[in-house]
Amino acid sequence: MKTKSRCNPTRHIGTGMLRVDAADKVRGKTQYLNDRTYPGALHATVVRSPTARGILKSLTLDPAYDWKGVTVATAEDIPGENVMVMHDRSMPLMGAVGAELRYRGEPVAVVAAATAEKSMEAADHVRLDIEQRPALLTLAEAIALFKKSPKKLELLKTQNIEKGDIRRGFAEADEVLEAEYWAGHQEQLYLENQGLIVFPRKDGSIYVEGSIQCPYFPVNELNAALDLPPEKIRVKQTPIGGAFGGKEDYPSMLAGYAALPALKAKKPVKITYERHEDMLFTPKRHPVWVRFKTGFKKDGTLTAIECDYILDGGAYLTISDVVMYRGILHCALAYRCENVLIRGKVARTNSMPNGAFRGFGAPQAIWGLESHIDAIAEKVGKRPDAYRLQIHARPGDRTPTGQLLTEDNGSTHCLDLVLQRSDFAEKFKQASRGKLRKGQNKYYGIGLSFFAHGSAFTGDGEAKFKAKGRVELALLEDGRPGVNIRVSSTEMGQGVHTIFTQIAADGLSLTPERIRFPYADTGMAPNSGPTVASRTTMVVGNVVYRAAQDLRNQIEAFASRRYFKGAAARMRHSKLHAKGFRALPFLRVARDMREELGEVNGAFQFILPDTVQWDQSRFKGDSYPGYSWSANVAEVEIDPLTLELTVTRVFDVIDIGRVINPMTATGQVEGGLTQALGYAVMEKMGTGKNGLFDASRLQTYIVPTALDVPNYDVKFVEYPYPFAPPGAKGLGELPMDGLAPAIANAIETAIGVRLRSLPITPEDLFNAVIPPA
Amino acid sequence: MKSIERTWKLNGTATTLRFPAGRRLLDLLREDLALTGAKEGCGEGECGACTVLIDNDPAVSCLIPAGQLPDGTTLLTIEGVEKKRAGRVLQKAFMETGAVQCGFCIPGMVLAAYALLQRNPKPSTAAIRTALAGNLCRCTGYVKIIAAVKLAAARLRKTSSTPG
Repeated sequence: MKTKSRCNPTRHIGTGMLRVDAADKVRGKTQYLNDRTYPGALHATVVRSPTARGILKSLTLDPAYDWKGVTVATAEDIPGENVMVMHDRSMPLMGAVGAELRYRGEPVAVVAAATAEKSMEAADHVRLDIEQRPALLTLAEAIALFKKSPKKLELLKTQNIEKGDIRRGFAEADEVLEAEYWAGHQEQLYLENQGLIVFPRKDGSIYVEGSIQCPYFPVNELNAALDLPPEKIRVKQTPIGGAFGGKEDYPSMLAGYAALPALKAKKPVKITYERHEDMLFTPKRHPVWVRFKTGFKKDGTLTAIECDYILDGGAYLTISDVVMYRGILHCALAYRCENVLIRGKVARTNSMPNGAFRGFGAPQAIWGLESHIDAIAEKVGKRPDAYRLQIHARPGDRTPTGQLLTEDNGSTHCLDLVLQRSDFAEKFKQASRGKLRKGQNKYYGIGLSFFAHGSAFTGDGEAKFKAKGRVELALLEDGRPGVNIRVSSTEMGQGVHTIFTQIAADGLSLTPERIRFPYADTGMAPNSGPTVASRTTMVVGNVVYRAAQDLRNQIEAFASRRYFKGAAARMRHSKLHAKGFRALPFLRVARDMREELGEVNGAFQFILPDTVQWDQSRFKGDSYPGYSWSANVAEVEIDPLTLELTVTRVFDVIDIGRVINPMTATGQVEGGLTQALGYAVMEKMGTGKNGLFDASRLQTYIVPTALDVPNYDVKFVEYPYPFAPPGAKGLGELPMDGLAPAIANAIETAIGVRLRSLPITPEDLFNAVIPPA
Repeated sequence: MKSIERTWKLNGTATTLRFPAGRRLLDLLREDLALTGAKEGCGEGECGACTVLIDNDPAVSCLIPAGQLPDGTTLLTIEGVEKKRAGRVLQKAFMETGAVQCGFCIPGMVLAAYALLQRNPKPSTAAIRTALAGNLCRCTGYVKIIAAVKLAAARLRKTSSTPG
C-alpha cells in the first residue's frame, strides 16, 4: 500500500517521517520469533527450584519415566565455569547439587524435547531434594531488619554521594522534615513474551536469535559458562514485541539455559515462555524504600538533603549496582542544595533478581523526592509550583556530584511551560482537600512533578565504551545500490529504525528510500552498545550521523576522481554535483564504486570531550554526558462514595534536545506516561508468603487499557545537545519518571492525605479517607 | 482427541479443515494455516493480541475451541482484512498517525477497530475506547491508535457511497 511521506525531501531530522516498519506490522506480516518455523529444533523447559531458599541435596531423573528423545542439561553439563558474569560473577547459570538455591524459580536443569508439551511433561519427572533454609522474601522484611539491626541486612552493594557538609546543613536549617516512601515491583509487560533459539554450529560456535534487546550482552556474558570466546557467539534480534528493559539483562540467562541442551544434543533448542512463567521468573522493576530527611530555612531554601535509598536486588546482584547508582544520582538532582548525603544500598532477598525496566532506578528516586518536595512546600506555606520555581536547579548550578549544568539544560522552560499550559495556579485553588467544593460532585486534585534524567551510561561509561558503528554501501532487495546502517541498536517498538534512517539520510544527503537498517546482528554490526539508558538516539544516533558523513566524503572523493577530473564533488539530494559537470545520480556512482572498490564503509566511534570527567572511586564529577528535563502535571477526580480514582488530564513538557521525529517522540511519551500511570495507581504484583508474586497473570495484574488513559498534553522544548551534531538528548525513560509523584501529589490535594506507597489502589484511598478502626 | 471437519468462510474463501475438536482456534490458524498475524500474548483472553472476527464480532481466538464454530461461520483475520476497503483504510490510518510501535498488538487492534466501524461508522471517542478496551497495548498509550480509528472513520464516511 502507498502512503505519502510527510518528510521534507531535503531534510529529515526534525520531521515526522513515517515509520519504516509500520506497513508490515499493520498487515500482520512481521515475523516475531514464534511466527517463524525452525524445523528440527527442540523445545526446552526450565526446571526450577520450588523453594525460596535451600540446599540442593540431589537431582535425579524419575527412573519410571521414558526419557527417550529427551535431553536433560544440569550444572554438570556446563562446559566452562558455572557463572553468569553480570556485574559481580556471583550468580550461577544453574543451581548445582550441593549449592544453595536462593530464590523460588532458580533454574536447576533444562529439559529439551521435540515438542514443548513433551519437554514440560519430562520436566515434571526431574526429582529435587532440597534442604530448606529460612528465607527473607520481601523488601518490607529487609527494611524491618535494617531498622532494627542494620548490620544484619545482607547488602549486595552500597554507594554514597556526598556534597558539602550534611551536619552544617541541618545546623543551618530552621526546620527538618523526614518521611519514608515505598514502591513495589513492576512488570514490564512487553506483549511478546521472552523467547530465543540457540543453534550449535559444527565449529563449536553458537548462533542465537530471538527477542533480545542487547545482542552483544549474551556474546560477552556466556564466554565463561560456555567456554567460548566472543567471536564464537553470534546473536541477532528478531522483531521485538516490546521490551522496556525486560529483554536487556534476562535474555543472556535464557540464552545460557537454551545453550546447554543445544550443545549437549547438538541440535537447535528454542525456549519461549508463556505469560505466567514470564511474569513469575523474569526480572522486574526493583521495589524501593527511600527515606528523605531534609533541612530548610523558613523561606524554603534547602540546606540539607539526607537520603537512604534501598533497592530490593533479589537473590543476586546481576545489574542492580548500576540501577542503584542511577537511582541515587537522581535522588537530589533537580534542586539547589549545598549539603547532600545520599546512601544507596542494594539489599539481598530470596526473590527473583530484579533488573532493568525503563527508568532504571530513577523513577523510584523521583517518586520519593517529588512527593517530599510537595510536603516541604506545604510545611513552608508555599504552592508547589511557586516552591519549585524557587528552588529548582538551572544552568550554572552544580549537581550533588559537582557537575556544572550548562546552557543546554531547559529546566526552567519545562517548569514554566507546564504550569502555563495546565493553568496550574488557578486550578490549584479548586482542589477539594477532602471537602467537596461548590459545584463538585467528585474530589478534585492537581499535582506537579519536576525532574531531570541523565542521558546515556552513568559516569564515564560512554567515554570508556566508545560506541562504534558503520554505514555500508550495499545492494538492496531490489538489486540496486543503497546503504545499510550497521549498529547494534535494536528496534523494539521505539522507532530506532525510522529515526536512524532519517539521521543517515541527512548525514549522506540521500533519500531515505535507499537506506535500510537491518535487524541488529553481532555478526554484521560493530558494538554500538546496548539499547538502553535513553542513550541510543543521543549516542548511537551521533555515531550513525558521523559514519554517514564519512561515507559521503568517500563517495564524493570517488566521484571527484572518477567523473569530475578532480573537481570538488558534493553529494546533495541523492546526486553528485561538481562545478562544470552534469550531476550524476547516487545509484550510478554507488554501483561503480562498489565495482571498483568492493566493500565501502563509513565508520565512526563515539568520543566525549576531555572536559567531561568522572571519578568512580569518589563518585564525583560529570555523572552523565547530558540531561533531559521534564515537568508533569496530573489532574485527578475521586468519587466520594466509591473512592474510584480517575486521572483525567496529564501535561508533560520535556526538553530532550533536538526532536528527531516528533511523531515517534510523542508516541514514546504517551506510551511511557501510560506505563507510569499503571505504576502509580494500578500495577501491583505483591509478594506472597510462598515466594511468588501474587499477581502473575494478566487476569490479576491490571495494566491501563484504552479506557484508563487520560488526555495527554505533550510538548517538547528543544535545548540541543552540543557534543552531537543531531543534537538529541535522551527520551525513552523520561515519561516513566515523574507521573507517579504528580498523581500522588494530586491525590493529596484532592483528599487531603498524602499516600507514600505505590501503587495507590482504591483500597489505599479507602483506608486513607476512612481509616481502619 | 476425535477429529472433526468444518467448512468456514475464512478471509472470504470457503475453507474445509480437519482437526481435533478441542484444538484452539489460535493454534489452528497459526500452526495449520500459517496465519501468524494473530499473536499469543497471554493465552487467557486478557490481552487481545489473538483477536479475530467471528461472524463480524471480535473474539479472542486463544479461548475458542475451533470445534465450537459451526459450518458456515465467517472468519476474518488480519491476513484477510486488507481485502476489505475499510481494512485498508484503517491500516493506512494506523501508519499515518504513528499508531504502531512494537506492532505485536496491532493485528488485534486493527480487527477490533474494523468490527467497530462496521457497526458504528461514526464512533465517539468513548465508543472507540470501549471497543478497544479488550486489546492491550504497552507501547503507545492508545492515543495514536484512537486517533487512527477516528481518521479512518472520517475517511470512510467521506467515501461511504463507494462499495467496499
